[in-house]
Amino acid sequence: MRWFGFGFNAFGQICVRNESDQEESIDAVKIIHPTELSCHVDSSGHRLQTSRIRASWSRRASLHSDGDRCVCLAGFGSCVRTESRSCTDVSITESHLTLVFLDRVESWDLQKEKETPAWSMDIKPESEGFGDVTLPLVPGGYIDSKPPFYHTLSPHLKAKSLALGAEHALLLSASGAVYTWGLGSHGQLGHGSLLSEEEPRAVEALWGMPMSSVASGGWHSVCISNGGDLYVWGWNESGQLGLPSQSLRKASQQNSNQNTGDLCPHPATSSDEELQEEKKQDVFISIQAFPALLDVTPPCEIRAVSCGSRHTAAVTMKGDLYTWGWGEYGQLGHHTLTSSDEPQRVEFFTAEQMHVVDVVCGTWNTFVAVVKEEEARSQ
Amino acid sequence: MASLWSKISAVLPADEDQFALQFSDKVESSVVEMLRRSRRQLYGETERSSRALTAQIVLDLSWERLNTGTWRHVDKEWRRVYSYGCLFKVAALCRENPSEDEILQAVRTCDMGLLMGAAIMDDILHTIVRLLQSEIGKFSREEDENEHKVKKTKIADSLVPAIREEFAVPRIKCPSLESFNTDYLLPLKPVILEGVIDHWPALSQHPWSIEYLRSVAGCRTVPVEVGSRYTDEDWSQTLLTVNEFIDKYVLNADGGKASGYLAQHQLFEQIPELKEDIRLPDYCCLGEADEDHITVNAWFGPGGTVSPLHQDPQQNFLAQVVGSKYIRLYSPEDSDKLYPHQSQLLHNTSQVEVENPDGERFPRFAEAPYLECVLRPGDVLFIPVQHWHYVRALELSFSVSFWWS
Repeated sequence: MRWFGFGFNAFGQICVRNESDQEESIDAVKIIHPTELSCHVDSSGHRLQTSRIRASWSRRASLHSDGDRCVCLAGFGSCVRTESRSCTDVSITESHLTLVFLDRVESWDLQKEKETPAWSMDIKPESEGFGDVTLPLVPGGYIDSKPPFYHTLSPHLKAKSLALGAEHALLLSASGAVYTWGLGSHGQLGHGSLLSEEEPRAVEALWGMPMSSVASGGWHSVCISNGGDLYVWGWNESGQLGLPSQSLRKASQQNSNQNTGDLCPHPATSSDEELQEEKKQDVFISIQAFPALLDVTPPCEIRAVSCGSRHTAAVTMKGDLYTWGWGEYGQLGHHTLTSSDEPQRVEFFTAEQMHVVDVVCGTWNTFVAVVKEEEARSQ
Repeated sequence: MASLWSKISAVLPADEDQFALQFSDKVESSVVEMLRRSRRQLYGETERSSRALTAQIVLDLSWERLNTGTWRHVDKEWRRVYSYGCLFKVAALCRENPSEDEILQAVRTCDMGLLMGAAIMDDILHTIVRLLQSEIGKFSREEDENEHKVKKTKIADSLVPAIREEFAVPRIKCPSLESFNTDYLLPLKPVILEGVIDHWPALSQHPWSIEYLRSVAGCRTVPVEVGSRYTDEDWSQTLLTVNEFIDKYVLNADGGKASGYLAQHQLFEQIPELKEDIRLPDYCCLGEADEDHITVNAWFGPGGTVSPLHQDPQQNFLAQVVGSKYIRLYSPEDSDKLYPHQSQLLHNTSQVEVENPDGERFPRFAEAPYLECVLRPGDVLFIPVQHWHYVRALELSFSVSFWWS
């Protein structure tokens, strides 16, 4: 398996260029072409296999499936290394790195160089149901990056996976039901209102339609049904829902005006355009407070999805990668810095005959795991 | 003559060492690193595009943090980071012989910092926006010659409600502090004060007009409410320059459909030149809180703007500077006849359309006694705390409200 990355690279979290004077040039900060991540090498020169990547705004954490099974950090302050041998799972936020071991979970404060973790808990190997769950779920609850770190979850929820947004949470139960709670100001809870919820509440619109996976951006939520359909809700400010976004259309209109050198469009034409815009206005979606089925063209089944703060990336069963939403740092992988309010295939992987198997978004970037098409077929 | 950049550098710290960047733990070290990178670029030799990019990264990240959680709960540190982002962006824009368009962009950037950020470095964005405005003055002076005059439209008589004597808000000319206190403030009775703002420069020296507002504030960015009432589904807020607002919503107001209102905005904090044109009413000293706690808001818009019937938690002096407004007042004792909205967000707002009430849905509304008036330039209406008020502009109007306690 090989990993590629694109998008925000101001801290070298995707790749490091040697010429230090170019470190701050646009090309180095915004990686618009999918770029292969360099392999980490252990002390004996063995190239380590990366099994999992998690990324925050300024860093990337890679978990290795062989060697010491340790976690390597790339990006801001990457010299800080925490003892991570025999790690089984990892998550990272702007302030904390969380590591799961067979017998314990540890959260390390990335701001301070301390000898001990900011928070930790022991796991009894016989803990019921543990081993099936991934971070931020831990036995009995979940952790986030603010004290008190640990939050209990009712065992009745039978949590299978959990996704945390900027101020909301999305939980998938073993039966495929989706629960949300937290701030609802941008429709991110999917209950049809902008109200907040203190406790996990089932998303009724999805009732009876079992889901297989959930993901959360800063202010939007996405899930995949057992049939491979995508459901989206929340804020569509940059087109991150894949639904028509007015701010994007306005921005692209302005750009096209500038590109033609027409800085001051004739007043009459501009007001005509505005009139036409206003007529179309009702089809734009700024906030989607109920889950909406997202059509990807051509129709395809989705196997994995991940969200950055304002963009979304999905992998199809056929091994194609689609991205949409905010693209100003190159995080959509389309060789441009433009945002998109509809899912678009990332042609790089198709052209290179690579089969995408997984995708993980950082805040403003995207990481993609691929295998050769032959390997995919033999699997 | 000194260049714009040399004037801006003169108000910036002399070198990197004197440019402090101090933040609490809330701001992660990676973000502080990005701010430091911006600071280094400000004093070093870097390509212009790199400077602009680093500043934009700071702005994009702090914008996300400003949108996380409710506005009230956003930590002030993130508003400071946003202001630094604006400062670095302005510096990148103005560094090398900026074009007029770039200077206008810099003004907009300063305003975004003033509107969404928090004060940094002795309010340096205020200082810089003044330098930028004087620079723009040079560009626009020629255009002023052929400024187009706004035709004063006569108000159609049908739009001005006839005020019946028995419902009219009483009027009084320059009462003494003492008599205002005993006759109106203590018993919480509405009254129109006459002759108390005639000395304001806004009404005498340089009377506020479209041309005057354009010249003082034309390129400044302000929040505008779009939609006829804030209780409507399609109501929204947007940011426009004063010139854009005037062109789109004041001069071309199409009477209702897409109406815009520069409402409840602390314009005078943003544009001190306009603050010079108004004065705090002396009567505010009867309150217990000191002057710094008086909130001064601007209300500027075309005829037809409506503030639905609502109440505010403070005493209010509503001073009318330009145009006229129809106002209806209800006592808080009659709140039960006014059908406030149930939702927490709008519980100070009545569901009733005052001038077109739905008698079936709101049968008791007709029983509620009220006072009414047409407020004209020079009038100051005292709206006692919690008194319900409904306001409709009869023509192009500019009012200033003072909330005090």
